[in-house]
Amino acid sequence: MVKIYVIDNGGQWTHREWRTLRDLNVETRIFPNTKPFGEITKDGVDGILLSGGSPRIGLESALGNCAEILDKADFPILGICAGHQFMARHFGGCAEPSKIPEFGKIELTLLVEDNELFEGVPKKSIVWESHNDEVVGLPKGFKKIAESENCKIQAMAHKNKPLYGLQFHPEVENTEYGEQIFKNFIKICEK
Amino acid sequence: MFNAEKFVKNTIAELKEKIDGKAMIAFSGGVDSTVCAALVNKAIGKQLIAVHVDTGYMRKNESRNVEKMMKDMRLNYRFIDASKEYYDALKDVEDPEKKRKIIGEKFIRIFEKEAEKEKIEYLIQGTIAPDWIESGDDLRDTIKSHHNVGGLPKNMKMKLVEPLRDLYKDEVRKLARELKLSISERQPFPGPGLAVRIMGKATPERTELIREACFIVEEEIEKAVEKGLMKMPWQYFAVLLPVKTVGVHGDKRAYGDTIAIRSVESIDAMTCTYSKIPQEILEKISIRITNSLGSKVTRIVYDITNKPPGTVEWE
Repeated sequence: MVKIYVIDNGGQWTHREWRTLRDLNVETRIFPNTKPFGEITKDGVDGILLSGGSPRIGLESALGNCAEILDKADFPILGICAGHQFMARHFGGCAEPSKIPEFGKIELTLLVEDNELFEGVPKKSIVWESHNDEVVGLPKGFKKIAESENCKIQAMAHKNKPLYGLQFHPEVENTEYGEQIFKNFIKICEK
Repeated sequence: MFNAEKFVKNTIAELKEKIDGKAMIAFSGGVDSTVCAALVNKAIGKQLIAVHVDTGYMRKNESRNVEKMMKDMRLNYRFIDASKEYYDALKDVEDPEKKRKIIGEKFIRIFEKEAEKEKIEYLIQGTIAPDWIESGDDLRDTIKSHHNVGGLPKNMKMKLVEPLRDLYKDEVRKLARELKLSISERQPFPGPGLAVRIMGKATPERTELIREACFIVEEEIEKAVEKGLMKMPWQYFAVLLPVKTVGVHGDKRAYGDTIAIRSVESIDAMTCTYSKIPQEILEKISIRITNSLGSKVTRIVYDITNKPPGTVEWE
């Protein structure tokens, strides 16, 4: 059974991420972001998901031990919302308060056809959002994968490492291809 | 995938292990507390006492129906009418978080009194994931304090048991079907009841208004569903706004309250879309509410907000 843990940055939908993984037969647990890397990984882990959280935490705070996880991990990491913003900032990119925050339903446009995280997801699809901040400058080594009308970096991925960031929320019911994205991430972790 | 049969079996075994003595369940008659009561009843039988509190903010005939259900389920139960106490406590309260906290605390005080009288050591609650998620904690902001989380005192004497903590409503419904409970498809109703459907002071008079309006919304939508005119929404109700508007009632000026109709679709309450109810049904609801409530209500509006950015209930 593939093992993917969720790091809780205080998001409303952290537990929903755990549920989606569990429903897809992943061995999963939620850890608060204060848990040291060594303890999270002591029995081995195949992937980690960094959850969202309150406004500005992806921009200002250290976000618990997320930095340590990003530095030490030799397995895939998926950052969602604040987790995505923190990932960008940690690797030298830039995240800021959004000029136009997005809440609820929006249309996502894929900019890249062959990204493994979006396999089976059409060029245009409905995703749900809940963000006050966003990534405005990509970190070195990353590429842009998707955008929306009001947010130009909805998804990013490292060019040759399994590091992914999503501004939207694939874990909620209303995101059309959310489960597909989770399945793809699981497949990436299984490799 | 969530396996209801396995969950029932494991939880009953765990509860037998965990509960050693008398236990009390806070029983509202909704899906969560009824499933919880059925599970604990299977585990410890007559050691379980179900307590239903009529807060005065229940829907039309609701508490009487809950009493009948407790009888039908052969639960060992207590029925407590605390409506006067609740109305007094909320007399001058307008702030939604204050309302929720007062109601939550009052529930616990009533349960503690019963526990002391009957020497009960365990409090069982049907708390589910969205309740504690939205109530907030060290990591999370408070969106709204759910009555079963936000009102709990730090030094509670009873030991708390919450077997459904990690589940969402769709999973609890699966359990209800597995346990063959008649309430499996019942729409959610908030613990603080109609008090959070009255913006501003939840006085007995305003409670009667919204109780009737909620009854009309429920009856009309259920009729329309039965006729095949629409599908059953996730949750559907009315909200009383503190906004007065002008109307004309039989050549006479009227100046009354505004009522909002809210109906949403969801799977787990964590995200929702507003229901696309056929216009004719909305019109029927609007006419029936204004005709039944006379000059007290002069305007009806329909809420078209998803969650996020909105929440399901208005407070």
